[in-house]
Amino acid sequence: MIKRKIILSQITRVPVLSSAVQEGMRLLRDPQVDMGNLAKVLQHDPGITANILRLANTPYFGSMSRVNNLRDAVVRLGAKRVSQLLLTVAVTPRISGDLEGYDQAPCTLLEQSLAIAVASELVAAELGIDAPSHTFTAGLLANIGKIVLSQFLDNEYEQVNTLVESENVSFEEAERRVLGADHAEIGAELLASWNLPEEIVRVVRLFRDPESCPERDVALDLVHVGSAAAAMTGIGQGLDGMQYPVSEAVVERLGLTENQVQEVMVKLLEHVAKLKEVLPKCEKTI
Amino acid sequence: MRINVGISEMRVTKQPGVILVTHSLGSCMGLAAYDPVFKVAGLIHCLLPKPSGSKKASANPAMCVSTGVPAMIREMYAMGAQRQNLILKAAGCSRMMNVLNQFNTGLRNQETLLALLEHNGLKLAASEMGGSVPRTMYLLVDAGRVLIRSKREEREL
Repeated sequence: MIKRKIILSQITRVPVLSSAVQEGMRLLRDPQVDMGNLAKVLQHDPGITANILRLANTPYFGSMSRVNNLRDAVVRLGAKRVSQLLLTVAVTPRISGDLEGYDQAPCTLLEQSLAIAVASELVAAELGIDAPSHTFTAGLLANIGKIVLSQFLDNEYEQVNTLVESENVSFEEAERRVLGADHAEIGAELLASWNLPEEIVRVVRLFRDPESCPERDVALDLVHVGSAAAAMTGIGQGLDGMQYPVSEAVVERLGLTENQVQEVMVKLLEHVAKLKEVLPKCEKTI
Repeated sequence: MRINVGISEMRVTKQPGVILVTHSLGSCMGLAAYDPVFKVAGLIHCLLPKPSGSKKASANPAMCVSTGVPAMIREMYAMGAQRQNLILKAAGCSRMMNVLNQFNTGLRNQETLLALLEHNGLKLAASEMGGSVPRTMYLLVDAGRVLIRSKREEREL
């Protein structure tokens, strides 16, 4: 399809992660990361360390005592967590704009993304299981394809909406039929072009349709139900709203109950409100 | 002046010119209440049907339909509203597509509201609940008008 080719070609217009961020994430793969090197690499990207520390001190990530520098953060939260914070800070500017196609005001995609990341981990906590370490990042980036697809959806929205309403198909399937691509696939392609790990790319590609995954992937299951719980709270919703099904097979194999879903929603609201307060672009409530 | 009513919050006002607004109604339930005689207005955005043992939900009455709606109406009475004048309009309670029980908070919120109102002999003058769409709800205090914005369209409720 011609439209699909044009959409895929737009992926390269999204600015890639800075070399400082990429190098920082590479260093943080080592739990015993050389702190001197890390600090030196990140100082090329002004404000990034300060923002990592602001996030590190929110109740969601917070350790028992205040984290004052990167070394503290790595010691108390672990290199993996700090790597997630680094990526969160780095993608914030890219997902803070408004998305006219999805009728999302400035910062709402960021709120939605944080909500999915946190909800996915909260589901694991409610179930008493360990969330795989890439769960947070995959949840955060699950909807990033919207930043590319939005401009195309803007023109074709009536057609997509008609399909959803008249044939009861999910929003992403309607996107696929009308535009030739959906936001999950485009997000996966974008992240692959950023060289993010395949395990993250896979969750983003399949999070709307986890049953199509050939093998069991706990992070994928968590992001799938996390995105549903986040949508139900309404945080950062676009016009696609709740027009996505929840997989019965996934809910069953996780053993998730109604009370657990509600508890996730309650905790989610509290955490997302505090997280978005500390991110510089989104100090004002919408 | 616009006053934003967040998720799990409620606002009651008599201040002329105010527009109460609540964004992002997903499975949450929004209830607008208005006394046209004494010009008292209230808007609430409830996340859950009932506290059901959740400590956080018990601590904030506005979080749940079963505790928040009575609390808001009592506050309106305290500001001079009268029961026989109340006009109630509800929105929200959306469901995921092909929803499963575990994810049917929208239906639970709707059922809880309707049972509560019936128990107290109150009726909804209008409502737009269900579906899978997000909604924003406005209550214009001067005129008592309720507007719903959803999927790029705005309409009177």
